[in-house]
Amino acid sequence: MERAKVEQHPATGNTMVVLVGLGILFLLFIAFLNVVKSGNIFSEANLLYAALVFYAGAGALYLGFGVTGTEAYIKFASLMTWAGLLANTGAVAHRWYEAGHPPFASIYEMLLSFVWTLAALTLIAEKRYGVKVIGTVTMPVAITGVILMQLLPSEVRPLVPALQSTWLHVHVTLAMLAYAACALSFALAMMFLIQDKVKTEMFLAATSIFTVGIYAAVLTRFEKWGGLNVIAWDAQNKTEVFISRGVRLFVTIPDLGWLMLLVFAAVAAPLVLFILSRIKKNEGLLAVADRAVFISILLQALALVFFLLRVRGGQYPSLDADGLYATSLAASPFILSALVGGIFANLLYLLLLWRREDLERLLPDADALDRITYKTICIAFPLLTLMIAAGAYWANRAWGSYWNWDPKETWAAITWLVYAGYLHMRITRGWRGRRAAYFAILGFAVVMFTFFGVTYLLPGLHAYA
Amino acid sequence: MALTLRTAPRKLWQTLSSIKTGVLLIILVVIFSAAGTVILQRPMTDPDDMQRAYSPAMLRFLDAVGLTDVFHTRWFVALLILVSLSIIAASVQRFPNAWRFFSRPYKSPDENFRKALPTQAQIAIADEEEGLNAAERAFKHLGLKTERIVRTDSFSLFSERHRISEMAVYIVHASLLLIFTGFIVDSLYGWRGFLMLSPGTSSNQVETKDGVQRTIPFSIRCDGTGEETYADGTPKRWWSKLAVVDGGREVSSKEIVVNDPLVYHGLRFYQASYGRTGKLDRLVLDATPASGTKGAPQEISLGMNQAVALDANTSVQLVEFIPDFVVQDGRVYARSTDVVNPAVHMIVTSKNANGRKANSSVNVWLPPIEGIAENAASPYAFEPKDLKTGIFTGLQVSHEPGQWAVWAGVVLMAIGLTFVFYVIHTRYWVVPVVDAGGRSVLWIGGTANRNRDAFELSFKHVVEQIQKELKPELAASAPAQATSRTTIAGR
Repeated sequence: MERAKVEQHPATGNTMVVLVGLGILFLLFIAFLNVVKSGNIFSEANLLYAALVFYAGAGALYLGFGVTGTEAYIKFASLMTWAGLLANTGAVAHRWYEAGHPPFASIYEMLLSFVWTLAALTLIAEKRYGVKVIGTVTMPVAITGVILMQLLPSEVRPLVPALQSTWLHVHVTLAMLAYAACALSFALAMMFLIQDKVKTEMFLAATSIFTVGIYAAVLTRFEKWGGLNVIAWDAQNKTEVFISRGVRLFVTIPDLGWLMLLVFAAVAAPLVLFILSRIKKNEGLLAVADRAVFISILLQALALVFFLLRVRGGQYPSLDADGLYATSLAASPFILSALVGGIFANLLYLLLLWRREDLERLLPDADALDRITYKTICIAFPLLTLMIAAGAYWANRAWGSYWNWDPKETWAAITWLVYAGYLHMRITRGWRGRRAAYFAILGFAVVMFTFFGVTYLLPGLHAYA
Repeated sequence: MALTLRTAPRKLWQTLSSIKTGVLLIILVVIFSAAGTVILQRPMTDPDDMQRAYSPAMLRFLDAVGLTDVFHTRWFVALLILVSLSIIAASVQRFPNAWRFFSRPYKSPDENFRKALPTQAQIAIADEEEGLNAAERAFKHLGLKTERIVRTDSFSLFSERHRISEMAVYIVHASLLLIFTGFIVDSLYGWRGFLMLSPGTSSNQVETKDGVQRTIPFSIRCDGTGEETYADGTPKRWWSKLAVVDGGREVSSKEIVVNDPLVYHGLRFYQASYGRTGKLDRLVLDATPASGTKGAPQEISLGMNQAVALDANTSVQLVEFIPDFVVQDGRVYARSTDVVNPAVHMIVTSKNANGRKANSSVNVWLPPIEGIAENAASPYAFEPKDLKTGIFTGLQVSHEPGQWAVWAGVVLMAIGLTFVFYVIHTRYWVVPVVDAGGRSVLWIGGTANRNRDAFELSFKHVVEQIQKELKPELAASAPAQATSRTTIAGR
C-alpha cells in the first residue's frame, strides 16, 4: 500500500542561505552601479526593484524549505520579507508623494498596494498566528505582482472628476483589506484540511481540477486552425485597441493554441489518473499521477515561456480587421495571471507531496486553524459590509444612485451573502471542521470571481461577447 | 398529518421561520442575481448588442421569462420581499426566548446547572463568608462588578458584562430589514432623470430614462458652467453655478462639481457631464475694406442670423455655422457636432451706390471654400478673431426618498456587527457549596456567548486571583484544590 516516496534530500544547512544572500547582494550591486550613473538612489523604480529582489530571495528560501526541509531557511526568509516590506513601503510612500493621492487610481497603483498588503499580512500571520510557512504562498504571488507591475503603464495619471473623492480611498482601502482577509482565510482553510488529515490525493484532484479549469478558460480563446486570440495593444497610447465602443480588437497568435491544447491534455492527465485509480482501486496509479503533475509543471512553464516570447515580439493578423497588429502582456493580464497561477498551484501541491510531515509539524493543529479561519472571517465580513456601504454612498454622491445592479456590485453582494452564509452555518448550525473549511474556500472562489471574473469573463460591453 | 384549517397557518409559519427556508431563499437570490450578470440586461445594453448576442428564439424566451431585466421583474422583487418576510418570521419566532434570556438574568445557579456547566472550578475554603469576600475582592481587582444574590441560607455572587450582546443579532437583522425597506421605497417611489442647461437658461423639465418629461415643482437656472482640464486634455473639474427658483424667487444657489450635488426639497442635482452644443454662440471678426480704402479693421460680433452694418451701404449677416465641415460634390456638409473644423457662411449685402434698390449679395465663407465662396467679390475682407460655441452642463437629477432608511440601516448594521463580533456577554457565578466529602468549597462557574477559547483563559485568571485572595486565610487549612473541567467548544 506504499506510494512511491520521493527521495528526501538531506538537510544541508546554510549553503542555500549563503547562496541566496550572495545572489541578492549581486543583484543589488549591479542595480547600484546603474543608479550611481543616473543619480537618484531612492526612486520609486529602484525601491520597487529592491523589494522584488528581497521578495524573490524570500520566495527562494521558502521554496528551498519545500525541497530540502531545512527549517533555518524559514527564519531567513522571514527576514528577507521584512526587508522587502521596507523597500515596498518606500516605493508606496514615494508614489503617494509624487501623485498627491494614495496609490489607488490605476491598476499599477493597485498592484503596488496589493503587494505591500501581502507582505504585511505574511508577517502578521507569522508573528500573531504562528503560521510560519505562509510565505510559501504569499511570496510567489508578491513576486508575480511586482513583475506584472513592470509591464503596466506607470505614469502618474491625474484623477478624473469622478475619482476625486475621499470615498474612493475609503472604498478601495476597505476592499483591499477585506479581500486580503478573505485570501488569508482561504489559505488557513487549506492548511486546516492538511492538518485534518485530508489525503494528499484529494489535494491532487483539487489542484488538477483547478488547473484544468484554468486551461479550459484559456482555450476559450482557441482559434479553429490552432491559434490563440489575444487582445491587440496600441503601444503609442498604451491602451487596448478598440474597433468600436466597448468592443476590443483580437489578434490571433498562430500555433499557440495547439501548445495550450497540449498543456491542457498534460494537466488533465493527473485528474484522469486519479479517477482511474479510484475506479480500479489501484494506488500505484496515484504515483504515476504525481509524476504526471511534475511533467505538467514543466509543460506549463514551457507554455508560459512561449506565451511571453510570442506576445512580446511580432505582429499578428486579426479576423476582425485588415493588417497586422501588435499585442502586449499588458493586454492579457488575465491569461498571464492564469498561467502563472496554474504553475504556482501545482508547485504548492508538490510542496505538500514532498514535505507533508514537515508542514504538519510546523503548522498549528487543526482545531486552532479552524478557529483562526473563523476569526479571520469575523474580520473579513464587517470589512466587506463597510466596503459595499462605502461604495454605495460614493456612487450616490457621484452618480445619484446607490445601487444599480452593476455586475461588480451584484457579485460583491453575492460574496457578502456567501460569507454571511458561512457565519450562519457556523453560529446557528454549529458547522465546524471540514464543512466550514469548504465553505470558506467557496467564499474565496466567489471573491476571485468578483475580482477577476466580472472584468474578464462576463459578457456585455466590457468583453468579447 | 392532514393539513386542517387550524394547522395550516401554523405549518406555514414554521416553514417561513425555519433556517432552511431562509437559506433556500438566499440561494435563489444568489442564482438569479448571478444570472442577471451573465445574461445581458436590457437597461444597460444597446438593443443591437442584445440581438447580436442571442438568437431571436433565445431572446424571445429570455424576454418572456424576464431574464433580460431580472432585477426589475415582479418575481425578483417578490423574492426579495419573501426574504424579508423570512427574516422577520425567524426573528419574531426566536425573539421571545432571547428577550426572556436578556431581561431575566440567571443569577443563582441551581445544582443541575452547576453540574452541567462546562467551565467551572472548585476551591476549598475554610469559611463561607471569608471565601465570598475573597472572591469579591478578586473580581474587584480584575475590574469586574459583582452583586450579592441572596439564597435560602447563604448568598452567592453574580458578575456579568455586556448582556446587550444577546440582542446583537436582532439588531443586525433589523438593520437589514431597514435597508430593504429603503430599497423597496426607492424602487416604487424613486426616479432619476437628466437635465441639460446652457448658461443663462433655466428649466423645470427633467427627462427620465424612458424619455418621459417630468415636471418638477421649481426651476433650476444655470448661471455659469465650465471645465478645467489637465495639460494632456483629460478633464480635471466640471463645475456649474446653479440657482433654485421656487415660486418666482431665487431661494438657493450653489456651485456644484462631480461628487458634490445640489440638494433641494428631496431632489438632488449632480454634475454628470459637460460639453459643447455644436451651436454657435458668438463670432468675432475683424472686417477690413477690401478695396484699399484706408480704414482700420473694425471688430464686429455676430450671433446666429444676426446682421451688422459695416458702413452706410454694407451689412453682413451670419447665416450658417458648421462645426465640422466637409465638402462633397460641391456642397458643404457637417461631419459631426464637435467643433473640430468650423466654417461660417456670411452674406455681405451692399446697396448700390446710385440708389437703385437692387442690392448685391456676396457669399463669404471662412475658411474660403473653393467653388462655393465668393470671397473675392466681397467689399470687405474678414478675419476671424474668436469663436464662442454653446456649452451645456449635463445634470443628473434623482429623487430617492428611501435612501435615509438605507443609510440608517447601514449605520445600525455596523453597530450590530460590532456587537456581534466584539462585544461578548460573559457571566461568572461564585456559590459556596458543600462537596461530596462534606467540605466547604467555593464553586466558580462562567460562560461566554462567543470566543470561548479566550474566555477559558480569562476564567483561569479569575480562579487564580480568587486563590491569591484566599491565601492568607488558607495558611492553616488544606491547600487550594482547583479542578477545572473545561471543554474547548471552539466558537
